[in-house]
Amino acid sequence: MARKDSRVVDVRAAADAKGGVLRDAAGTLAGMEVTLRNMVRATVGREHVTIQYPEQRKPYSRRFRGVHVLTRRADGTLKCTACYLCETVCPAQCISIDAQEVEDPGIEKAPSRYEIDLTRCIFCGFCVEACPEEALIMSREYDLVSDSRDPQALRYGIERLTQRPEIAAYGAGFRPHMEYPLVESQIPGQEEPSPEETR
Amino acid sequence: MPLVTIDGRQIEVEQGTSVIQAADRLGVEIPRFCYHPDLRPEGNCRMCLVEVDGYARPVVACATPVADGMVVHSPHESATASQAVNGVLEFLLVNHPLDCPICDQAGECSLQDFYMHPDYGLHESHVDPAEKVHKHKRVDLGPRIVLDAERCVMCSRCVRFSAEVSGYAEVQFVRRGNRVELVTFEDRALEDPYAGNLADVCPVGALTSRDFRFKRRVWHLESTDAICAGCSTGCNVRIDHFKGKIERVVPRRNPSVNRSWICDEGRLSHEKAQGQDRLLHPRGADGGELSWSEAIARADALLRGGRAGVPGRALLLGSASATNESLLLLRRFGELAFTQRTMDFRLGNEPELVDAREDHLLRRRDKHPNTMGAIHLGFAAQEGGLPLHVRAAEHDAYAALLLVYHPPLVGDESPEAAGALERLIRAVPASVVLTSHRLPFLEAATLLLPVAAWAEEEGTYTNYQGAVQFTGQALRAPGAARSAVAILADLLERVTLRRPDTSPKTLFVELAQAVPAYQGLSFATLSSRSAIAYPPEGRMHYGQEGFAGR
Repeated sequence: MARKDSRVVDVRAAADAKGGVLRDAAGTLAGMEVTLRNMVRATVGREHVTIQYPEQRKPYSRRFRGVHVLTRRADGTLKCTACYLCETVCPAQCISIDAQEVEDPGIEKAPSRYEIDLTRCIFCGFCVEACPEEALIMSREYDLVSDSRDPQALRYGIERLTQRPEIAAYGAGFRPHMEYPLVESQIPGQEEPSPEETR
Repeated sequence: MPLVTIDGRQIEVEQGTSVIQAADRLGVEIPRFCYHPDLRPEGNCRMCLVEVDGYARPVVACATPVADGMVVHSPHESATASQAVNGVLEFLLVNHPLDCPICDQAGECSLQDFYMHPDYGLHESHVDPAEKVHKHKRVDLGPRIVLDAERCVMCSRCVRFSAEVSGYAEVQFVRRGNRVELVTFEDRALEDPYAGNLADVCPVGALTSRDFRFKRRVWHLESTDAICAGCSTGCNVRIDHFKGKIERVVPRRNPSVNRSWICDEGRLSHEKAQGQDRLLHPRGADGGELSWSEAIARADALLRGGRAGVPGRALLLGSASATNESLLLLRRFGELAFTQRTMDFRLGNEPELVDAREDHLLRRRDKHPNTMGAIHLGFAAQEGGLPLHVRAAEHDAYAALLLVYHPPLVGDESPEAAGALERLIRAVPASVVLTSHRLPFLEAATLLLPVAAWAEEEGTYTNYQGAVQFTGQALRAPGAARSAVAILADLLERVTLRRPDTSPKTLFVELAQAVPAYQGLSFATLSSRSAIAYPPEGRMHYGQEGFAGR
């Protein structure tokens, strides 16, 4: 540690200052090699590393954990039987359910209210893994925004979680129990994943 | 007395005790479906098989009486017993529908618990799910109970409860083998006023409660031990609540009060206590809402007439539905604030009714939980009763009235009592009424103060036997309502200039000192499980020998 009254002399800086300009800049240029190469590639060759988000988007993994989807049976009723396993397992405690009785004796129970507070959700996917019926899956929708400060704005209920026009653009995401066939009517915009997407 | 060894631990028990009772006392857990401590053992589920040294085969612990020198091995340590129990469990699950996600019993189901037990569960089923026998599901057995016959393990606890305890004998098994099903006589709805207990005794999800159906998964519930306030029996209950709402009330076993049962009226009494017509804010005679500081100041001025003092006699009417602690503070307020006072609690003839039975099992005709406590605290020392007070008030005997009122949670207030209360309030010039509910016959009061209802305040009730039992607080009182203890402490502070300590422990110590009958009691003796603190003398009660029930 330098004493208060002593003068500090940088020996290396003084020695380098005696050399030529190009030799001094060499280190800096070497460090910028990657930047310069990409600059040339982008300006001359028109090859861009970045994309023009949000107009352009990159494909995401087939297992991406985005905004949830409540699936339906072929007859249009909710697959969910309100067993509360997702609410139980949720570490962020953002799911809340109320159950009701339904007429169909083979089903008995269905949610009257199913809400996910997406402002609290951490997108861990435990709810989807816990679901014994694949009634809840995830989509690849990732840019979840709200233009209001209303805390209810991103609290999605049954309507919002089943009617998902966004899915057409994003596709379905995390779904651990693949043995269940997923038909077109259940999730709009469902298409087979391309090889690099499943990576 | 026979000395028995279970899993290497010894215990001496009375002659005639069964192996399972001895094991329960030792804390050795033996799986069971059909055995219930308050029903006769039947030994039909075969789940409690244990190995006994010297016996050729495993025996059922519930129907085998202990003998001196018996050495018992539970499935926890005996491979033979474990294998036997494992087989029994697989057999019971052969036709089980495995619909736990929509079953209300899930989380407190014996089948789930036993299957997951590493010592005797976790078998690989030999049954193809497609071959399972299907039975009736979602069968309505009256307004309280829903039956799912596929989940039934035929333990017959419900059949025995219905026949032995309630006496209605309404359910029975029909057919044989894997077609056995529980039915009611001619498929009629259950009429038993104790039918709710059928869901409680059912160890699986076959009989579930209609009132609790699909409300909440049991593992989300918080529980508070309490005493039912529906009548003077003082049944021990557990309040299961979620986010400030009572979801169900179930009995808590207390062999000397209610065994394992409660009546359906008591089970549903919370619906009235936490009903819609609650008084939420202090209210003056003009109907305007008041803050608590204004309300207490006004109550003090009304009752004590400011510095000049009240120019006559004060009437303090306690409530047989109030806790002993609030009655103690009411009594102290009366003694310290008024030179001339009359204290009473009777709206009808509660002291005569307190012991009167409504049926052979639990219900009593006095629909107040704490009539005995009010008697012990000296609230009915003089000749009195509501009609006398009304007559006195109409002859200007009282200058002020302080009334603590809780409506009965089972049934409605008698028209005579309601009419008399209204006349009393109109006759006394200054009336301060603490009430949990908005009631038309109290509307004329000069000042209405909202007070916590049942399950919203803690304290003790003294039941018809004289047993002092602690009831817990499960919920916060709605709106601005406060516990009677807190309100009376505020009023006392005006008199003594010092706020009394209102912790339940301190109040109970003071109660035990103030009431001769409670001398020697301590707060620790009120542990919720065996709450008999004041032994009744010569009183016959349910569970005692010679009790009139069948």
